[in-house]
Amino acid sequence: MSFITLENVSMTYGSNGTRTTALSGVSLSIGEGEYAVITGESGSGKSTLLCLLGGLQLPTEGRLVIAGTDLSTFSADSLAGFRGRTIGFVFQAYHLLPYLTARENVMVPMATDKKSSREKVERADVLLESVGLSGKEERLPSQLSGGECQRVAIARALVHDPPILLADEPTGNLDSATGDQILDLFSELHGAGKTILMVTHNHWNIERGTRSVLLRDGRIAEDNPLRPVHRASRLAVPAQAGA
Amino acid sequence: MNIRKLAWKNLFRRKSRALFTGLGIFLGIGTFVAISSITMRMEGAVRDKLDKFGANILVTPRTEQLSLGFGDISLGGTQVAHAQLTGTDEKSIRSISLSERLRMVVPYFLTAADASGKNLVWMGIRPKDIAESRPWWKVQGAELSAPGEILLGSEAAVALDKGPGGTVEAGGKTFRVAGVLHPTGEKEDGMIIAGLDDVRSLAGSPDGVTFFEVAALCKDCPVEDIVAEISTKLPGAKVSAIRSVVESRKAAVDQFRRLGLGVSAIVLAIGGLMVFVTIMGNVQERTREIGILRAVGFRRRSIQSLLFWETGWIALAASVSGGVLGSVAAFAGAPLFGAERGRIEVVPILVGTAIGLALGLLGTVPPARRAASLSPIEAIRSL
Repeated sequence: MSFITLENVSMTYGSNGTRTTALSGVSLSIGEGEYAVITGESGSGKSTLLCLLGGLQLPTEGRLVIAGTDLSTFSADSLAGFRGRTIGFVFQAYHLLPYLTARENVMVPMATDKKSSREKVERADVLLESVGLSGKEERLPSQLSGGECQRVAIARALVHDPPILLADEPTGNLDSATGDQILDLFSELHGAGKTILMVTHNHWNIERGTRSVLLRDGRIAEDNPLRPVHRASRLAVPAQAGA
Repeated sequence: MNIRKLAWKNLFRRKSRALFTGLGIFLGIGTFVAISSITMRMEGAVRDKLDKFGANILVTPRTEQLSLGFGDISLGGTQVAHAQLTGTDEKSIRSISLSERLRMVVPYFLTAADASGKNLVWMGIRPKDIAESRPWWKVQGAELSAPGEILLGSEAAVALDKGPGGTVEAGGKTFRVAGVLHPTGEKEDGMIIAGLDDVRSLAGSPDGVTFFEVAALCKDCPVEDIVAEISTKLPGAKVSAIRSVVESRKAAVDQFRRLGLGVSAIVLAIGGLMVFVTIMGNVQERTREIGILRAVGFRRRSIQSLLFWETGWIALAASVSGGVLGSVAAFAGAPLFGAERGRIEVVPILVGTAIGLALGLLGTVPPARRAASLSPIEAIRSL
């Protein structure tokens, strides 16, 4: 059953005279629990597709349905609330807040939650432990390696236990060994039932997914199922208290 | 972790920016509180000083204009006094309920009398009253101090060709010229000023008073109340406030207050502008961070709230410290501005803190709106 649906979606930037079409008539259906790897050359529309799939923006044409919710009629603020609950983001450059410790960075998405500080700390510590950062909760990003920063970013993405994880070149800033560890972590999360959408240039990363989507000139050029080459032991993502 | 803590952490991350943001409010509120405190102290001081400078109420006999004519022929008119003032009226004036407001009550007696062959007007005044009622007089020679001494107005001295140490004959007595007044531009330039009793005896009116000059301290009471009370005590007298004096004093104090408020408003406006500029710059710098927060689910309101908390902390700290500094500066500097001694004024500190906080938050409104409208895509595109 389709978990994320794009129906004839187009995305155009600019106004008359300087219009740029980033996506044109894209239709895509991603099932729950899929691990889709989106690839393509620069300017092929990957980033735009990522923004749409992440609910960061709405298409200028077409219909976008995520987890049974049609986002076409959502306001920017409603989209923010939806993202917070449904989608976890992992960025290439980690985008941790440098003045916060690892624990505090993980707690950022919970800043507006009506939970006690203790509950938030407990949740952050459990997540940091699950990504292998137990004992490093009080470290600042500057005191962590690139791989550890990306693990903190993954823990932050998992705070609200979202069904979808969206990763934009998550290994782009890491050496191959560390990148592999991060990909293992994604595989484990996939194994734990998360729907993963990963944008990447790296062909080795493609093999980790269950599906490969190639974009070219704003259209889907190829859409192939894959057989993942590696499946790590299942990672149990700690559920939120009361969830 | 909550919005407040996030804001607090961010402040410590950008200490210099936070200090610069707070500096505008700190200086603005410090200046506002200092000026307000000094103005409050000075208003009283200026008013007291002005009140001490001459009279502001005049008590004269009530008169009536009487037209004289015969048939169609007009013979002009004359003023007829209902009653004459006497020395005992001074006691009546001093017996009003607002008597503690009366700084001085000075009786004058005027008469025309021959002085060494010249017919001149003599003004009788108690020598001890001169310093308070005519503080602007400058005397060449000596002050009036004893019976039988006179001061000559500058024109009278020329007319009599007399100077300090000379003598003037009048009413069979010899008066010694103690001094000569520098020109004042007033009628006393042509007069001879002598002791009240000396002039009364020249006119043969031992208890006569031509008019009283009253100086009332009107800091907390309208001069009209004092006028009304004196009128009640002296029904035969015409009691009038010297409006020009009252109004000019009020205008001087008001002008001073306006000046203080004007300077404060300018400083506060500059402070507000500094807040606006620094926070706007802050938002520009933090586009990516704001984008990340939006991406992880922060709503617009949360982003605005974050910025308001940040500025709120700064504005509160800067306002309180500015208010305290301004108050201390006013306390120390008040004597330089004419206030007898400084005093910590609480009201300006409270008002200043409220204004500083409001200024900080108002200056944050446009940047917060801009920040809230930033798209989370900015974070993705900044990769």
